[in-house]
Amino acid sequence: MSLTVLHSGTQTLVMDAGRPGHRHQGIPGGGAADKLSFAVANHLVGNRWDTPALECALGGLHIRFERTATIAISGAQMWAQNQGMNLPMNKAVDVEKGDILTMSFTRAGCRAYLAIAGGVEATTFMDSVSTYLPASLGGLDGGPLKTGDIVRIGDRQGEPNSLPKGHVPALSNHVVLRAGAGPEWDTLSDAGKRYLFTTPFYATTATDRMGTRLKGDKIALNAPLNMTSSPLLPGTLQVPPDGQPILALADGHCTGGYARALQVIQADLWLLGQIAPGAAVSFRRSLAEESSAILKAKNSYYADLIPGFRF
Amino acid sequence: MTPTISNYGDHALLIRWPTDGFSEPVNDAVHHLAAHLRESGRYIEVVPGYDSIVCVFDLGLRSMSSAKRHVEDGLARHISKTTTAGKLVEIPVNYGGTYGPDMPTICATAKLTEDAVIALHSGQIYRVCMMGFIPGFSFLSPAPIALHHPRHATPRAKVPAGSLGIANWQTGIYGLESPGGWQIIGRTPFSIFDAEREVPFLLNAGDRVRFIPQ
Repeated sequence: MSLTVLHSGTQTLVMDAGRPGHRHQGIPGGGAADKLSFAVANHLVGNRWDTPALECALGGLHIRFERTATIAISGAQMWAQNQGMNLPMNKAVDVEKGDILTMSFTRAGCRAYLAIAGGVEATTFMDSVSTYLPASLGGLDGGPLKTGDIVRIGDRQGEPNSLPKGHVPALSNHVVLRAGAGPEWDTLSDAGKRYLFTTPFYATTATDRMGTRLKGDKIALNAPLNMTSSPLLPGTLQVPPDGQPILALADGHCTGGYARALQVIQADLWLLGQIAPGAAVSFRRSLAEESSAILKAKNSYYADLIPGFRF
Repeated sequence: MTPTISNYGDHALLIRWPTDGFSEPVNDAVHHLAAHLRESGRYIEVVPGYDSIVCVFDLGLRSMSSAKRHVEDGLARHISKTTTAGKLVEIPVNYGGTYGPDMPTICATAKLTEDAVIALHSGQIYRVCMMGFIPGFSFLSPAPIALHHPRHATPRAKVPAGSLGIANWQTGIYGLESPGGWQIIGRTPFSIFDAEREVPFLLNAGDRVRFIPQ
């Protein structure tokens, strides 16, 4: 009733839907950084969408199944093989006891989700097993998977499903995010405002689940900003005095002290989990009137397919 | 004292009070309204700051305008409230020595003896204005002016859990061991954050804190 980790890869973490509602205590909601791909993988193996699964960043995971299992991989495109045979993505597949699954490097996106029928078992903190590394919460003793770890698999929940054409989340190494004005938008210079929506940035190696430091044209402020530390959300783009923006992600700090220039729209938050170091990142302006329609359309596209899932 | 309500992207609201530095009445208003908004169950997150609240809603369930109306209603009903929110927590602190490596720095800028700094720092009641940064990190209301001191230019790689720090006018308590740039003047043996405990957090925003020198 378990799998054995032969190689943990760059970073593989147990994730579920996270623990929203505790930012006022300094605990970010966290959870699967790309909730859509995570939900799709779970749905394919017949799990509820929010069942704990493995989030594998940038590849390199090798595991051995110690029993037969049904698995599915969604999210970042990785060259995955079972017993040396190529595995299709976004499709439920049966594996045998003793099978060895290897996940190679990512070709597009950053994080692949490996869902196993029945889900994986891990430490619960505040109703969630999602791993939060800065405070060693959830997951396997609060940390990433390590070579030699044994991960227990839960009881099968339902029959596997297939994914209709057109429902596979489209990922690329150029992540385009729609965003609206953040609280300190007006502190940006006119040129800074223009650059934000016209220049592509790229994600530096300072990219993890907490945030990504972007590099690109300098975004200047009108005047030096002396801000009191204030609440900050995933998907907020902060502009520090050096003009190189920082995008807060799923495990981002709950407070920050730099100008909050942009906020990624709710419908695009799932894409934040797919920004790999080196990826291009662009912002497109989204007007308040249209973002609600965008969200409704996206929700209805997946609502009938994955019960309970919402962007 | 009337706050402005503005969009924070498409799925959050920012409620901001006009202040010039720290204001206790504003922070009172922040915590009263935050408690009211949280109790309503309409928001995914209600995050109070020193002089603002950010509340996050699900745009799939409510509109920006209905969220704004709800906040305006809350303000109309709660703005006049004057009671003090939160509980008073007494926290023992070992000031100075290995617990407070930056105590000499603070003594030097304040031109005070260590005993005088301790008396000054522990001689007032602080309010937990905001939590964040790391789990349980408690941002407190201003320390006495003589003790204000900027952060280290280069943060320490490790600040032990329970450390008491000063950054400009702010006093804060580290909930967990973490990197940090605050001037550390002491440490409490109390666990500010303990994931294993039934109630992991010793403090909540809105609480009041009195430091008891050991």
